[in-house]
Amino acid sequence: MSILEPALPSVDPVLNPHTARKARPGGTFARQIAAHIPWVVSTAVLLFFVLAAIAPNLLAPVDPLAINPSEAFSAPGAGHLLGTDESGRDIYSRIVHGSRASLLIGAAATGIGLSLALVLGTIAGFGGRWLDFGVGRILEVLFALPGLLLALVFIALAGPGVATTVIAVGLTTAPGYARMIRAQIIALRTSPMVEAATVLGRSRTRILTTHILPNALAPIAVLATLGLGQAILWAASLSFLGLGAPPPAPEWGTMLSAGRTYLVLAWWMTLFPGLAIVLVAAAATVLSRSLKSRGPR
Amino acid sequence: MTLAHPLANRLVPAATVLAAALVLASCSPAATSSDTSTDAGTPVTGGTLVYASGDAEPTCLDPHVGGNYPQALVASQYLETLYTKDADGKLIPWLAEDSTVSDDGLTRTVKIRDGIKFTDGTALDAAAVKTNFEHLLNPETASSTGYLALGKIDSMDAVDATTLELKLKTPDNSLLESFSMPWVAIESPTALKRTQAENCASPVGTGPFKVESWKKQDSVNLVRNADYVLPVSTAAHAGTAYLDAITWRFIPEAATRYAALQAGEVQVIDNAQPDAIAAAGKVSTIKHLDAPRPGASNRIELNSSKAPFNDAKVREAFIHAVNVKASIDSLFFGTAPQSFSALSSVEPLAYSEESLFGYDAAKAGKLLDAAGWSNRDSEGYRVKDGTRLSLTFPVSTSQSIPAEQSLFEQMQATAKESGIEIKINLLDLSSWYGDLAKNDYDLVSAPYTKVGPSVLSVLFSSASTIPAPSGYFANHSQVKDPALDALLETAGSTKDEAERKDLYTQVQKKVLEGYYVLPLYDQQNHFLYSDKLKNVGATTAVATPTFFDTWLAN
Repeated sequence: MSILEPALPSVDPVLNPHTARKARPGGTFARQIAAHIPWVVSTAVLLFFVLAAIAPNLLAPVDPLAINPSEAFSAPGAGHLLGTDESGRDIYSRIVHGSRASLLIGAAATGIGLSLALVLGTIAGFGGRWLDFGVGRILEVLFALPGLLLALVFIALAGPGVATTVIAVGLTTAPGYARMIRAQIIALRTSPMVEAATVLGRSRTRILTTHILPNALAPIAVLATLGLGQAILWAASLSFLGLGAPPPAPEWGTMLSAGRTYLVLAWWMTLFPGLAIVLVAAAATVLSRSLKSRGPR
Repeated sequence: MTLAHPLANRLVPAATVLAAALVLASCSPAATSSDTSTDAGTPVTGGTLVYASGDAEPTCLDPHVGGNYPQALVASQYLETLYTKDADGKLIPWLAEDSTVSDDGLTRTVKIRDGIKFTDGTALDAAAVKTNFEHLLNPETASSTGYLALGKIDSMDAVDATTLELKLKTPDNSLLESFSMPWVAIESPTALKRTQAENCASPVGTGPFKVESWKKQDSVNLVRNADYVLPVSTAAHAGTAYLDAITWRFIPEAATRYAALQAGEVQVIDNAQPDAIAAAGKVSTIKHLDAPRPGASNRIELNSSKAPFNDAKVREAFIHAVNVKASIDSLFFGTAPQSFSALSSVEPLAYSEESLFGYDAAKAGKLLDAAGWSNRDSEGYRVKDGTRLSLTFPVSTSQSIPAEQSLFEQMQATAKESGIEIKINLLDLSSWYGDLAKNDYDLVSAPYTKVGPSVLSVLFSSASTIPAPSGYFANHSQVKDPALDALLETAGSTKDEAERKDLYTQVQKKVLEGYYVLPLYDQQNHFLYSDKLKNVGATTAVATPTFFDTWLAN
């Protein structure tokens, strides 16, 4: 599933419930339910992991750090739902307890990325031609470099760790958001609503704070949901490379990396943390698309 | 587990019982096979052996420069040494014919074998060996391993074509053992006259293969030395090697390396990981060569130069607070027997004392209480005078395999139960050296390969706490004991073999009983190879395989 919106309006009723409703005004109950399934499933997945992040012991009472060498490499089964790792630690428990780190990293990184993007995007979109030109060029330069490379450079300078990962991912995602925010603001700036406000003699600051930003924020909320999945993926990639949370922390990317060594012997060590990453990232994307198609135009 | 749900609490014991049943049902001992016997069948000449190394690609193919194990592995194919070890582990002359030492132990005479040529046509003689030793001792060569091995040589003189006379600063009874290491291998003096860059790219020796080309970041290509002369006719065949060529590749990722072997893309892999060895044990087409390295065992050194390990009781307590046995059993699948010695099990003078090492949390607790670490902080760690009992453990990710890193993680979890905090820092090699140089460690695991018990001097004499110009020092436990120094001094210079053994045993007892090291296992050196490859198993004195006798079945 592409992160970018398709150029043409989707005719898929699941992806675009608006077209679905327009095309079939008298849609049956079953069809309506079907259209809601992705939304319901992704919300349920996210709720599970949010609950896991808030109260991990509720879902997995086994200590994620407790070792038991005699139970190492146990396959998924009744004793250990998702099996155990090389130290006999429970994989299910580690995934549940790892939710907090992964979601926090994802949320904090998205927060940093969006805040930075909001500032840059507003300056570019509302600051006049020259500022727009300047910020535009900076963003283009940042776009020219692969995002992961930017993050790696930042980590090389600041040293590995959870805090650096959050900032690195935040910085890396900022240019993309900044562009979208800039476009949003330019669209609003030329809207009849803002033209009317200008005619009425409102100040630029007032127009920005009362008309443009509030209207730009709703799409940004959608962007944030989309970005969350992406940021979790990035953070896991960095941890996988040994640049994030150090072992034995139950971080998904770190677990994935540890499991790689035993891929042939104990596939569950790699599959389940990987599945957790995919589930959260996919759920966040589906939810964001769903929100976008329901949200104000 | 403050938020534990009552239902979940009730489920845990049930789950544990189920888990135990599952483990018992699925548990089977890992099979290990080591086949070093001569294969039946008529040897076939020809074919190219593809070798996949898990080590980093050397920056120089001449093991005189620097001197590490990856260099020794590849150089063992094209360079030979003055001495070597036979299949029974006995030291025998190779490029040398014989060697004698004067009564005062200060003059060693080495007879060089006649009739051997380097692959560039230069003849091997005493002057050639002298040039090699001078090359090793020249600071511009930047040799570290070979330089240390020849450190006691004061001056040398090629008396005639086959006689080299060495004057020593002090008697050194480990010199012949040192001569058997690839880091002191003999190269063509003509080739050594080239620039270091040129010699690094294509060192010239007397071995059964020679360096044809080196495509950096890809492979080293070795071809058969058509004029090879076997110095000692102990091997199964005379003449030249069976194989036409060896392609020496570098595949750092362990799983990829094993997959390449399974696919038949390569015929030998080194640095085989425990899980792969266990898996290969169930496959008839893959064979296993277990060749533990000589010198030191793989051990954790306890830094006695600062608190908390300047207190012997705390060192003893730490050793009893970690359960090494359980971890080795589960992580190494029976491929690495636990060691209780500072020396490798292949060292004839290794002294082992199992009774000193064993997991005993109660004993650890008592020792720590007695040493004043009786209070605990909010996280359950022991404290004394406001300081937490915390141990810094820098781990080099390139020197410790994943299973070993997991073992350290398990030590961390078990030590916590005794109130000891272990902070593991996973580092690249240069940061790891940096932490050692800053004395910013309490625990460290560093390999050291050397032939013979003289490695004990390198690891435990006071002199070894003084960093070399490179900043590296080998005595990581930083034991400084004049009595130990005196024992090491006499053990290294005596001409009496029985006295040497007795003194080195005393040294090892002192080190083990002082709880300066926690031995884990031998330095692991496992190779997996295709069953199409016959007669694999011959190794040098440092356990690097040689492929002179090896042939590839069709």
